[in-house]
Amino acid sequence: MLSVEHIQKSFGSVQALRDVSFSVGAGSVFGLLGPNGSGKTTTMRTILNILRPDAGAVSWNGKPIDRTVRRRFGYLPEERGLYGKMAVREQIVYFGRLHGLHEPEAAKRADAWIERLEIGAYALRPAAELSKGNQQKVQIACAALHDPELLILDEPFSGLDPVNADILLAILLDLKAKGTTLVLSSHQMWQLEQLCTAFCVINAGETRASGTLAELRSAWPTRTVRVAPDSPVLRGAAEKLGATIAGSENGDLDLNVPATSDFAAMLRSFAAADSIVKFEVVEPSLHDIYLRAIGAAA
Amino acid sequence: MNDFITVYSGDLMRRIKSRPFLVGLILGTLAIVGLFKLPTILAPTIVSQGTRLVIVADAPLAAQARPLLARTLTVKGVVPAGTAVNRALLQRFDADCAISISEVKSGIHVTIFAKNPTSVPSGRVRAALLPLQVQHATHLSSAQIAAALGANIEVRSLSSKFQSVDQAQAAQGLAMTLVVFLYILVIVNSQFVMSAVAEEKTSRIAELLIASVDPMVLLAAKVLVGATLSVLQLLVWVAIGIALGSGGGTAGAGAGAAASASMNPFSLTGLLGNTLSPEVIAAFGVFFILGFLQISTVFAGVASLINRTEDLGSISGPMVIPTIAGYFIGFLAINAPTLPLVTVTSFIPLLSPFVMFARMAVSHVPLWQIGTSVALNVLALWGFTWFAGKLYRVGMMLYGRPPKFAQVWEILRSPS
Repeated sequence: MLSVEHIQKSFGSVQALRDVSFSVGAGSVFGLLGPNGSGKTTTMRTILNILRPDAGAVSWNGKPIDRTVRRRFGYLPEERGLYGKMAVREQIVYFGRLHGLHEPEAAKRADAWIERLEIGAYALRPAAELSKGNQQKVQIACAALHDPELLILDEPFSGLDPVNADILLAILLDLKAKGTTLVLSSHQMWQLEQLCTAFCVINAGETRASGTLAELRSAWPTRTVRVAPDSPVLRGAAEKLGATIAGSENGDLDLNVPATSDFAAMLRSFAAADSIVKFEVVEPSLHDIYLRAIGAAA
Repeated sequence: MNDFITVYSGDLMRRIKSRPFLVGLILGTLAIVGLFKLPTILAPTIVSQGTRLVIVADAPLAAQARPLLARTLTVKGVVPAGTAVNRALLQRFDADCAISISEVKSGIHVTIFAKNPTSVPSGRVRAALLPLQVQHATHLSSAQIAAALGANIEVRSLSSKFQSVDQAQAAQGLAMTLVVFLYILVIVNSQFVMSAVAEEKTSRIAELLIASVDPMVLLAAKVLVGATLSVLQLLVWVAIGIALGSGGGTAGAGAGAAASASMNPFSLTGLLGNTLSPEVIAAFGVFFILGFLQISTVFAGVASLINRTEDLGSISGPMVIPTIAGYFIGFLAINAPTLPLVTVTSFIPLLSPFVMFARMAVSHVPLWQIGTSVALNVLALWGFTWFAGKLYRVGMMLYGRPPKFAQVWEILRSPS
């Protein structure tokens, strides 16, 4: 398990991390969310021990992150970089060796990754000659060649076309199935919702929300109840129950009610007031939770 | 250790195959070949330039002057006094100048007619004809003149390092050559290390590397790859130099040619002679390693702060100044090894690799001074490594505007 406890980090007068805490269960996929400049990358670099926190601690299975532990991690940074003049296969093997693989084993695995990523035609060509998307594939191979226990991916989908994004998604799901713990950041909420089992929202260097989607939802103070038809009678009934009208669209009426409301009793009241054709309790989306957590309008 | 070996070997192979290294090696090799071979090719031309002459004088005077001039110049012919001296005459004798000699009351009068007046060896002509001038002015016999002018001048060395002037001069020449080598190797390969660091940072691969390997291991590997390449270059050049040096002797058909090579003032083979002692070789090795490690470590640390390879020039400029200063003081030390400035700077890190080495090559330096200089350099290297390590660890992750001095100070004070 990865445990991040109250880490703080400053660069001169800029406090990049004020108080970030979360934990990631072994084998789970964890989403790190936050606006640009919120501290996601600094958090990732601190987990990898690239940066040392000014306060707080990071541990993996109860042990601090030292060189031996870090060797079992993989990392795909947000800013991609490869040796431009080095051949693709040679490059993947080199990074495998940096993570402790012996050359023959690294070469064997590199060939398997090259085949899987469909970049065999470029294996012996310098990385600089590859397209941005293909360079990103090479980097993913570099990051995951040694079968890391924990793989940290900073914006892994950025710059990928839909086809390559699907290839990456399949790879990440495969790694998850193999038991690799994944921590990733992305601004694509739908991708994170599809992949991740737990999340942490960071803003201004602080943890604003953390937990599984169910936990985050359960902490959400209100729910949206969608009823139809949007009639004056139904609006009157809603007001009597203390609901506030959130909006109206396509003949549906959206009501904001406390999360602890008795929805069965509410349904009975509406049914008694009018001939309703729709009654739906809408759970907050990750997008809603994110916006609320960072202080923007949800 | 495994990390270090992986990074070191990977980086070494990458650098050995890189164009700048290969171009540097080839250009250096050509320079060595030139240094050895060009003097042999050019010396006859340079030596004979302006020295082929025709004597224009009456027969008795010409007979007296000819053997005197022939000692240091090439006499192509003699024509009687009154012969018209022009370019056609010089062309006929394949000569550079004509020397007209006539008897006057006070001795002899000499006029030199030359195609190119700037190449006229008038000093050598004056020296050669001095006995003739004295003879005609005093009417003494040539034997008496020879006895009077033949003062023997002997130089005896009081230095315990060199037994003769030739040996001391050869040592100076050798020291100059080695100081130049030291400078080229240190400056070129330190810039190499600097650009390697900048390249990894600007290509954004640094983050991936630092996520896998300790930054200090990366820094150390980079600096030592630079040192290895320098030594490799040096070995190639020395091997070529030795091959050319020994080849020159045999190609020249034996001892005569070898002797003439050592007499040739332009010959590097002659210059090296027997002055390349184990002490000088050891000093060169030690001070090269110390100088290179100090300078390239600082270069690498500072290079980690830049965000564009275009900034390398502006940042390396001021840092090269101590190296250039060391180089010039090193040259000063060759001619004046006991100057207070030389003695003091031979203890100052960054300067002392050049200055102390130069002192050691041309004079006897007390052992305690050598030991102190080496110790101070090792201590400075430790400090530079700490400084560069701090900068490197943070600098490689620092993007955006180049940091100001206050930020650099913060980095040095921070725990990571």
